[in-house]
Amino acid sequence: MRISKGALLVVIAVLIPFIVEFRTALSWFGIEISVLESLVLGAVVVLAIVIWAVWPPNGDAEAEPTGSS
Amino acid sequence: MNIHTYEKAWLVAAMVLIVGFMATITYGAVGPGIAMIDDDGGTIDPAEINDHERFGEPGVEHVGDDEYEVAVVAQAWSYTPEQIEVPADSEVTFYVTSRDVTHSFSVVGTNVNTMVIPGQISEMTVRFDEPGEYGILCNEYCGEYHHTMEGKLNVVPEDEFDLTELSVDAPSEVEAGNETTITANVSNGMQEDLETTVALEIGDQGSERDVTVPGDGSEEVEFTVDSAELGEGDHDWTVTVDDYEETGTLTVVNATDGGDGSAASGGDGDA
Amino acid sequence: MRNAYVDQFPAEAKVIKAAFWSSFLALAIGGSLGLLQALHRTDVLRIMEAPDYYTVLTAHGVLLAITFTIFFLVGIFTWGVTTSLDRGLVDLRFTWGWYAMMVVGTVLVGVSILGGVVDAIPMNADVLFTFYAPLQPHPAFYVGLVLFVVGTWLAGADWFRTWLAWRSDNPDERIPLPTFMALTTTLFWYLCTLGVALSILLLLLPWSLGIVDSVNPLLTRTLFWYFGHAVVYFWLMPAYMLWYVMLPKLSGGKLFSDPLARVVFVLFLLLSTPTGIHHQYLDPGIAEGYKFIAMTNTMFLLLPSLLTAFTVVASMEHGARQRGGTGYLGWLKALPWRDPVFTGMALAGLMFAAAGFSGMINAGMNINYLVHNTWWIVGHFHLTVGTAVALTFMAAAYWFIPQVTGKELWNRSLGLVQVLVWFVGMTFMSNAMHRSGLFGVPRRTAEPQYENFAFEPAAGSMGEINAQVALGATLLTVSLALFLLNMVMTSLGGSSDEIPDNTYAETLSGPEDAPVVLDNLKLWTAIATVLVIFAYTLPLASIIDAGGLFGPGIDGFQLAIEAGPAFVLESVREVIA
Repeated sequence: MRISKGALLVVIAVLIPFIVEFRTALSWFGIEISVLESLVLGAVVVLAIVIWAVWPPNGDAEAEPTGSS
Repeated sequence: MNIHTYEKAWLVAAMVLIVGFMATITYGAVGPGIAMIDDDGGTIDPAEINDHERFGEPGVEHVGDDEYEVAVVAQAWSYTPEQIEVPADSEVTFYVTSRDVTHSFSVVGTNVNTMVIPGQISEMTVRFDEPGEYGILCNEYCGEYHHTMEGKLNVVPEDEFDLTELSVDAPSEVEAGNETTITANVSNGMQEDLETTVALEIGDQGSERDVTVPGDGSEEVEFTVDSAELGEGDHDWTVTVDDYEETGTLTVVNATDGGDGSAASGGDGDA
Repeated sequence: MRNAYVDQFPAEAKVIKAAFWSSFLALAIGGSLGLLQALHRTDVLRIMEAPDYYTVLTAHGVLLAITFTIFFLVGIFTWGVTTSLDRGLVDLRFTWGWYAMMVVGTVLVGVSILGGVVDAIPMNADVLFTFYAPLQPHPAFYVGLVLFVVGTWLAGADWFRTWLAWRSDNPDERIPLPTFMALTTTLFWYLCTLGVALSILLLLLPWSLGIVDSVNPLLTRTLFWYFGHAVVYFWLMPAYMLWYVMLPKLSGGKLFSDPLARVVFVLFLLLSTPTGIHHQYLDPGIAEGYKFIAMTNTMFLLLPSLLTAFTVVASMEHGARQRGGTGYLGWLKALPWRDPVFTGMALAGLMFAAAGFSGMINAGMNINYLVHNTWWIVGHFHLTVGTAVALTFMAAAYWFIPQVTGKELWNRSLGLVQVLVWFVGMTFMSNAMHRSGLFGVPRRTAEPQYENFAFEPAAGSMGEINAQVALGATLLTVSLALFLLNMVMTSLGGSSDEIPDNTYAETLSGPEDAPVVLDNLKLWTAIATVLVIFAYTLPLASIIDAGGLFGPGIDGFQLAIEAGPAFVLESVREVIA
């Protein structure tokens, strides 16, 4: 894990407003995407982040933060 | 006091932001002249609204050139008048007061928005650059059916705007052979004189009369109708002035019938 | 050896526990009513009549904005004063006395509101949180409010006498930071509640009892806002206190600067009250100059909040670096994100930043005309009191409930999920509310569907906005249920030895760096009073001069008409004709 599970959850939660408003922002430029397309897009981004998070970090340049408190 | 360098920079940036905000708002007031609702409207006793010179007869009034005044009374749960029509590109001053509790007078999608507090008169002057239709709503809770309180504001092109009113006084029946009179009353709420034409059509006859209605005054136009030319039976009539129209039916009855009372109602009312 | 708060101050822990549970109860009821309203307004589910919406809205506003926040506040401040002075309260009977007074006040207010939907209770208080005259509630509503406020005054007196007792033993020491925060907050609370207390006792209560037959609606309204803006800082200050004294420690470090924390609280003492007129930018009868003064004060209130943003983020970064975090932003990864107490407070702070931006719009005298009384405002304060405060309090409860009960938190992971669900739910709801306000959708409106016109969103549709609000409100309710479940299960659990010690954050730059004058509470109170006099004397004098102390014969209205609106409209038209 590159980041702790807790941090991953937080990242996904914070991502949600951006995905919601991305649709609004696009509509300003005349690009209309449906709610379903928006959901798919969100799922893809979340999946990418999850994969990035669980992929073992190459090299040991950074110590792995455990995130425990 | 020991303040970190970054914190000092942040402090300065924060002050610049704050002063900047106040500068833009001050500019808004001084430059483009965005005025606030203030105490210019004065106070009023809600119990005396009906006798008040302005609110006794709420509505649109022309006060000169391109200046108009609109008096609105808010009460649970409606505005009087509900429909307001004003010309575009003119200076319109709204005066709003409340008969009972606190309301608002808010033109949806614009910054024409004021609280309406009993005992106070809200005054605000606005200019609508473009014609359009706007909703008016009350956005302050005013009782159980607050959500039903609404009105309508129509901003019409300047050259299509007038304050003309037409009312017609006509009998509903006339004895065959007699003459009768249909009277059109044209009132003009604008300050300038109104030159127009009043037209009457009845049956297949028509007549027109040019009139000049003085500013802030009214003019009566009488049309004499000869029942002999119409013949017995029902005759629909229409009086028109500009875009205003008033209709009704005149029944010509045989004197010996004594009238059968089947006549439709005569026209009588405001356009 | 366990050294939790309950071990240090067992008697005070009981009071705090009672205050917290009163607060949670208000949160449970008020929050559930919020869902009912959101679903009704958005036309997703309408199980009540439209008029009942306003009864429910009154309860939602009063229970959450007043009861939930202030009961939690008295708990936190009692903890802060006793912990930082390291001594108990002077007299616990007095303490239980003010707690009981607050409870009685709440019950009176609650019952009078409930009368709006329960026929068996011959009362009615459908006047919303702002109780603008001439809408008239049952006198019990006013009496309850006064009792509640007087209870908080006595709570403040309790903290002051505890501090004075400490002072006589420690004449030369600096006031510990948490106590300093509690005392400055209490001082501006005294200053601001004076206005509403006078308004209720001298004007509204006699009027509702029929002793005087009229009110001046603009006067009582102005006196309400004299209190009404300061109260938002009152419920915000405990959250600020937690961000200053808890969050740095949770992050693993120390508070960046004690002196600036004091400066921030002094600024709130000075500026909280002389800003209330910014809620009345659209009111007739108040000259533009007075509105401008209120705006200037409001804008300067941005300063302490911006300073807080700096100090809190700097403290978190310090903590993260202590935990091994590196890089410009890489340190963020080193923060204890699995801890619901930390994550909840951090997300609350993040949303408060967003609320700050919409607040700047509200404060702008001219831009305010576009958003005043629209749903934008509701979106704004659901970020402030509904998240910055409520989410901080809920997150803090995960630390405090174990402290005051000696029982370990039932489920930490569930706590993390809970704060995240709140964040996501509030994102949906408040974002949609903000957006809809920009195209004129009004607040406080049961069924905002009009016959003459339709709302025209710049982007998206009204249906989409409604769906976001309904979804957001549902998520918030789920989050609320998870929170309450965790609290109940924790309380049912057994005593644990695993409770962390009762401490708060140390500082990098301590009180020794702060000028002594910062601790001169008399001086700051005097300046605050002068500012209030400066901001309010002339507006109040001109309102009374124009409309009279009691107004021109304005009767009370309880706009609940059995026959329905059509009947009323008709009779009103007859009056006009």
